[in-house]
Amino acid sequence: MSNALDRLPADKDDSDHHKAHTTQETGDGWGVLGELPGDLMMWVLIMSELLVFGAALIAFLAVRTTDPAGFAADQALLNRTEGAVNTIVLVTSGLCAALAVHAREINKRATARRWLAAAGVLGAVFLFVKGLEYWSKASAGIDIETSPFFTFYYLITGFHAAHVVAGIVILSMVAWADSLRNMETGVAFWHMVDLVWVLLFPIIYLLR
Amino acid sequence: MRARALIEAWAVLVGLSAATTILSIFEVSGRGGVIIAGFVLLLAGIKARVILSRYLQLRNSRFWTRSFDFAIGSFLLLSFGLFAVAIEY
Repeated sequence: MSNALDRLPADKDDSDHHKAHTTQETGDGWGVLGELPGDLMMWVLIMSELLVFGAALIAFLAVRTTDPAGFAADQALLNRTEGAVNTIVLVTSGLCAALAVHAREINKRATARRWLAAAGVLGAVFLFVKGLEYWSKASAGIDIETSPFFTFYYLITGFHAAHVVAGIVILSMVAWADSLRNMETGVAFWHMVDLVWVLLFPIIYLLR
Repeated sequence: MRARALIEAWAVLVGLSAATTILSIFEVSGRGGVIIAGFVLLLAGIKARVILSRYLQLRNSRFWTRSFDFAIGSFLLLSFGLFAVAIEY
C-alpha cells in the first residue's frame, strides 16, 4: 500500500507549489531570497527565533560574569549525560526530517510521511528525556526561583522545549498537507529547533 | 546520492557531539578551562554549519552560507569572550 501511495500523482495544488518552489530555487526575481528553501516567511521566523535565543544566551553569559562560582555550582547539578543523549536524539530527528524532504522530492510520499513520523517520535523522546530532567530537579527542590542560573535554565530550555512541541505539530501538519513546499517549510522549522539546541547545550550545560 | 550526503552529515554531527562530550569531561580550571571552552564552542559552530549547509540545504548559496557563518561566528566569539571574562576576573 505504501508503494501505491508513493506513486500517487501530485495534485494540482502540489504542482503549483512545485512551480513556486522551482522559481525560488532558481532565484528568478527573488535575488538571494530565492536561494532559501521553503516559504520565505518561515525563514523570517527562523531568523527571529535565532535572534531571540541568541540574546537569551548572551544575557545568561553576561549575568554569569557577576557570579561565576555560583553559576558553576548550579551547573554541576545538571545531568550532562541526559543533555548529550538529547543532542543525539535531536540530530537524528533532523536527519529523519531531511530524508523526508528528499523522499518527497523524488515523489515518494508515503516514505516521506514515515520519515516525518520518525522525526516526530524522536522529538517526543527528546521531550520525555527533558521531562525526566525537570522531574529530577523538581524532586531535589530546584525550581525557577532557586537561583539566577536556574531561572535562565528553566526559561531558555523551557522555551526551546515549547518549540519542540510546536515542531512536532508542524511536522504532523506537513505530513497531512504534504506538498514539497509545505514539507520544506515545516522541516526548516524543525532544523531551526535542532540548530538552537546545538548552540544552547554547550553554553548552558558544558561551559564551566 | 543526497540521502547518502545527509547520512554522512548526521555521522559528522554525532562524531562532533561525542567529541564535545569528551572535552567537557575534563575538569580544568583557569586558563585551561578557557581553552577547552573555546574548543567546545568551536565544535558547536561546526555542528551549526553542518545543519545549515546539509540539513537546511544552504550549501549552494554562498550569500546565506557567509551570512550565517558571520552571525553564528560573531555570537560564538561574544559567548567565548563573556565566558573568558567570568573566568579571568
